[in-house]
Amino acid sequence: MSDGWGFWVFIGVLVAAHFGLHLSLGIEAAAPDLLTIAVLLAARELPGGPAAGVGFALGILEDAVSLGAFGAAAVTLTLVGYVGARSRDLFVGDSAFFLGSYLFLGAWIQDLLYFSLAGGVRRGEPVDALLVTAPLEALYAALIGLVAVVLYRTVR
Amino acid sequence: MAEYFEDPRKARWRNVGLAAAFLVAALFLYFLPQNYQTPIRRAIRGTVLTPFIWVQGEVVSQTARAEAMRRLRAERDSLLAVASAQASLGEENRQLRELLGLRDRVVGSFVPAELVRVGTPGGESSFLLDVGREDGVAVGSPVIASGGLLGVVWEVGATSSQAIDWTHPDFRASAMTADGQASGIVESRRGRYREEDRLALVGAPFHTDVAPGTRVVTSGRGGLYPRGILLGTVAGVEEAEPGWRKTYLVRPAIRPEGVTHVLVGTPGDASLAPLWTGGELDPLGPDEP
Repeated sequence: MSDGWGFWVFIGVLVAAHFGLHLSLGIEAAAPDLLTIAVLLAARELPGGPAAGVGFALGILEDAVSLGAFGAAAVTLTLVGYVGARSRDLFVGDSAFFLGSYLFLGAWIQDLLYFSLAGGVRRGEPVDALLVTAPLEALYAALIGLVAVVLYRTVR
Repeated sequence: MAEYFEDPRKARWRNVGLAAAFLVAALFLYFLPQNYQTPIRRAIRGTVLTPFIWVQGEVVSQTARAEAMRRLRAERDSLLAVASAQASLGEENRQLRELLGLRDRVVGSFVPAELVRVGTPGGESSFLLDVGREDGVAVGSPVIASGGLLGVVWEVGATSSQAIDWTHPDFRASAMTADGQASGIVESRRGRYREEDRLALVGAPFHTDVAPGTRVVTSGRGGLYPRGILLGTVAGVEEAEPGWRKTYLVRPAIRPEGVTHVLVGTPGDASLAPLWTGGELDPLGPDEP
């Protein structure tokens, strides 16, 4: 997927879009979690260490506006970045189905980890949140991520 | 190029070590005490995230301007009607205070602020304000919207601050019914969805019956919130511990979602001494040696 600097510009656009939607426009669950998508896509192009570093850096940005769960996003995105990078050793593919499944699972795992670390500030019963809300949010993020990748490949 | 000559096992362990270092750093931040987390959070908000926060401020200003104009006109007309109907009350109050030897009522001061909502998962029930320490805002300052109490300031920077609204699990306010019959602590009751969030008046005396529709206001106890700010109206009994206390569900006076402009209380003179005119009536005066 990587196309030199063009790919990293694409990752930067995803990050900017995430904060633009969530922070500039103040949209909550209606806006997808593009930060996790950015980490997952970047992780497929990086070794484990730098991928964890990208997750850490972006997680800290997310945590800066979080009251009561500071560091939770940094921990989860660091883990997601590392696991995403190591997943190349196990799964290889470039199809839309593979990429969609990878983004869905990655976003779901991120939500599971985040809920376990920041449960106090999240809404709803744990079972509902983890087995109903989180998969739906992950599916939404994965679909938007897939559309973004298709657009990037078209423009490239 | 280097990877062709590097031992793959060595490179793998280096990556594992690097990832572990980042994870340890993230866990360190997670377990850091709140007062050490605050400056880090503030520094990031004040640098990298500034453009995004600034954009929301501008968006809110633009969209709210026309709406605010209409609302302000309506509120001004209503206030004029109320003020003209109660014109003599101020004078009566002044005369009664004079008779009782009381000074003018202590009035809290407020600064107007623009509210920037945080849409990230961890930022739910919190918002940013464009006023800070330089404007006189302090941790614990009440945030009031037209209609009632919205929340309380949690963190303060030089020119901005972060606050929680009443839906936050840590929100508490000392409260009473408007007629003073029952008092207790108001706290949030979170629903599955934001629209289901309610308040609850906890610790009301068991022997008092508060009718649905009764207004609940801040009692001023504890000194955090000024007395008399509307919190909501009683919706019904949530729980009753026989012979001990009752908990009432309270329908909130304002919903946080639609609020864009607020007033933030600035701490004034916390002493009650200025309320009394004569030194001989000052119960809080210094003890004689």
